[in-house]
Amino acid sequence: MSSFWRGGLVGGIGVVVGLPLLVQVIWSFAFRWYFPDLLPSEWGLHAWRYVFSDSSRVGEALLTSLGIGLAVSLLSIGIGLPAARALALHDFPGKGLVEWLLLVPIVVPGVVATMGVHLVFIHLRIADSSLGVVLVHLIPAVPYMILVMASVFANYDTALEETARTLGADAVRTFWFVTLPAILPGLLVATLFTFLISWSQYVTTLLIGGGRVITLSMLLFPLIGGSNNATAAAISLVFVAPALLALGVTARSLANGPSVLGGLGRP
Amino acid sequence: MNTPSNWLVFVTAAVLLLLSGCAAAPAGAAAPPVYTDWDDVLAAAKGTTVHWYMWGGSDKINTDVDNDIGKTVLARYGVTVNRVPVADIAEIINKLLTESSAGVTAGGSVDLLWINGENFKTAKSADLLYGPFVDLLPNSRFVNWEDPAMANDFGTPVEGYESPWGHAQFVMEYDNAQVGDTPPTTFEALAAWIRAHPGKFTYPAIPDFTGSVFVRHLFYWAAGGPTPFLGDFDQAVFDRYAPQVWDYLNGIEPFLWREGETYPEAAAMTDLLANGEIAFNMSYSPGNASLSIAQGIYPDTIRTFVFETGTLANNNYVAIPFNASNPAGALVVANWLIDPEMQLILADPARWGWLMTVDPTRLSAAQQAQLAGYDVGVATLPAAVLAAKALPEPQGEWVAAMEKGWVEQVLQK
Amino acid sequence: MGRQDWMERLKIWLMLLPALLVLVGLFSGGLVVGLGQSLGYMPVAGLHSVTLQHYLDLLVEDAFWQSLWVTFSIAFTSTLLSTLVAVPCAFLLRDTFRGSRLVNFLFQVPIPIPHLVVAFGVVTLVAQSGVLARLLASLGLLSEPGQFPALVFDRAGVAIQLVYLWKEIPFIGLVVLAVLQTVGPDYEALAQTLGATRWQRFRYVLLPLILPAILSASMIVFAFVFASYEIPLLLGVRFPAPLPVWSIQLYRDPDLNLRPGAMAIGVLLTLFSILWLVAYRRLMRYALRASGGR
Repeated sequence: MSSFWRGGLVGGIGVVVGLPLLVQVIWSFAFRWYFPDLLPSEWGLHAWRYVFSDSSRVGEALLTSLGIGLAVSLLSIGIGLPAARALALHDFPGKGLVEWLLLVPIVVPGVVATMGVHLVFIHLRIADSSLGVVLVHLIPAVPYMILVMASVFANYDTALEETARTLGADAVRTFWFVTLPAILPGLLVATLFTFLISWSQYVTTLLIGGGRVITLSMLLFPLIGGSNNATAAAISLVFVAPALLALGVTARSLANGPSVLGGLGRP
Repeated sequence: MNTPSNWLVFVTAAVLLLLSGCAAAPAGAAAPPVYTDWDDVLAAAKGTTVHWYMWGGSDKINTDVDNDIGKTVLARYGVTVNRVPVADIAEIINKLLTESSAGVTAGGSVDLLWINGENFKTAKSADLLYGPFVDLLPNSRFVNWEDPAMANDFGTPVEGYESPWGHAQFVMEYDNAQVGDTPPTTFEALAAWIRAHPGKFTYPAIPDFTGSVFVRHLFYWAAGGPTPFLGDFDQAVFDRYAPQVWDYLNGIEPFLWREGETYPEAAAMTDLLANGEIAFNMSYSPGNASLSIAQGIYPDTIRTFVFETGTLANNNYVAIPFNASNPAGALVVANWLIDPEMQLILADPARWGWLMTVDPTRLSAAQQAQLAGYDVGVATLPAAVLAAKALPEPQGEWVAAMEKGWVEQVLQK
Repeated sequence: MGRQDWMERLKIWLMLLPALLVLVGLFSGGLVVGLGQSLGYMPVAGLHSVTLQHYLDLLVEDAFWQSLWVTFSIAFTSTLLSTLVAVPCAFLLRDTFRGSRLVNFLFQVPIPIPHLVVAFGVVTLVAQSGVLARLLASLGLLSEPGQFPALVFDRAGVAIQLVYLWKEIPFIGLVVLAVLQTVGPDYEALAQTLGATRWQRFRYVLLPLILPAILSASMIVFAFVFASYEIPLLLGVRFPAPLPVWSIQLYRDPDLNLRPGAMAIGVLLTLFSILWLVAYRRLMRYALRASGGR
């Protein structure tokens, strides 16, 4: 590839990826910005002032989104990791059915399930609560955890674990010093994925949270569409920041652990 | 191989505990208390939190509510207001209906609702409301309940189940850089303008309430006034006037923004007008244009007008759900909303820019002088002009029929 | 079966239990409740009779079929386009060159960004008075917003497609890249020594290896787009709206009598996506056989 094309490729990807984000940075500092002005005719900090005021509830929503996301990813690990291991390393009667049951939420719309679950949650008194929202976020999150980790375990050799056990290591130590380091890159990526799935949810949070559980997506959604672009842009940037941060942390695992994402490529 | 299964036992136990813990939550307790004495209300409300569900699409209203209502009510009555923003209050009616059918008769999550019109009618007829409570509010004496437009919310008798907090009247907003200083104030002139300027007019898609009220105006236009729609719904009357309305709307459709292929959300119209994509917007808030100019959302060429034949006006109310956890706190907030002091803040064009819902003649002389001294803002019509052109809203059933008709006869055609 | 075997089997099922509990309990459980409501069985609203009426009402309605078509075409087009762009991207990213680390990073940036954020960015860029229109205006190429093509709130759903392309190209690309890197250069090198041309190496060596990944990643994308609500709601036309939008709007209506209809739309949506899934798996098997893969 000539360096001209290469430069073009880097620039092109940079523009396509960066423009939708850059325009939001500009909007968040705009006070008056009308067609056909290429840049705002007046700049201002009012959107950011609103974001940092209590009225915007952005701080509170940020914490709620983070808390729910963390709970979802930790629960997904606890629930998904053993299942992924069982599916990857063992054969047993009924495996096909189990696999199908566990992975079907990835390809079958969750609309009906969420609406159905809503009624059950109202009876259980966990509608309108963070707990209910965490549980409903598990529906799309856990299958991804299983899918990614099953492919990690498929390339995993249990011999080392057995050696450790023979040498007298107990279960906890074996897991901590042998299993975990081996699966860590994959686990990091899978955890990031489940976190992001929860982080980005809108309609499930809306239905199950009933407006009472306010995550960032609940704040951003009503603002998209034009009534106040500056505020929408500022909140949108707050919504992006932790996600990009998470990518920074796991980018290396994403790049160095190619087999991990390959799990999503298994039919 | 042991490791994961140990872990698994722990996880299973945790999940089971979680699930069983939820299932064991207390079932329906007694209904919320009923008060007869205002001092009891004040005593019960002190130190509580009110969860007030309201439309949250405006950062200005959100901030104003927190500053002028939340902070004051906390300072004076020890009541914390937790504003819960929602996209459409109909969702909350839906939620109350579901809770009602699931037997959640107390301990509900909603204490106070910003409501009116169809939602009030639905809630009232399905027994979703606490009350009647209005007579208990000391400040209710400032409200003119003899006014039929106040005692009836879109034709549904209020009967003490909701208390007002703001007055709204429909106005058209226009860009005088595009339209000039004499906007079309009749529906004939408007149609002519639309045909002469293709792509520059549109209205929000129903079920948006602003789009819905625009269509209601056309029914009044077709019938020569509001009278036929103020009584109970009558299919024959509806069928008499509806074709003329659909003809008008389908007639202008090819000349609308996007040739009528789609209709925008109300929020999107703000952006469209600000950028000159269209020349008109419409609002239930006569002060919106002035405020938007001050906020940098609109350029300062935006002005407002009302139709010669008048525009619809109504009141915003608050109501308390049947299963509210904190009715006392909700009552305290409702009472503050119609306090003359709050209403003067609300009517201040530099602060809220709303219309007062209490009767100005019942205010003190000093308060009346303060009200008269307000500068309404560059794009706002004087209150007297608006009041002279105010029209009553039809009964809720008419609105439903008009909205359904629009979807079938205009949107899907 | 010996005691040892039995214990082993028990252990496996114990490992699967939490996942089965959560997913079968929540997903399938919710599905069953929803199915019940779609058949008009809603004891809380005093409805106990079971009827297919809500389905029949939908199936005879033109609006339903238009809506289904919109849902399908948005999902199909965005999947196809994302795949067609993503695969060559994966090949480009496989090579190491000056700046390839930067490109790799840029390519990953869209992965963690929520769809809502992308939707807002796309609207502010491609609306008729958006930044691109302003750019053209400042170059003197247009003077009015109306002269810029309608890409948002349009029948073709261009803005919707752009959001999905921006998000899903990197997703499919990275999945394919992951497989390419696992495969490594050995097979190709071997094929080259055996005299295979560049095209032959791609067609007979690489393609069979990466095809399963392409197909399953694109299947995930299709299913996601097929079921999504907020993007078409924010950027699409009012009518005909995709099925998930229609279903959820009915569900959230204050009129409880609309619920069975909302559920029926949801159930049909589910059925169609299962049908599509089955067809897709067939296609996948056929494609694999035809390409000489496993």
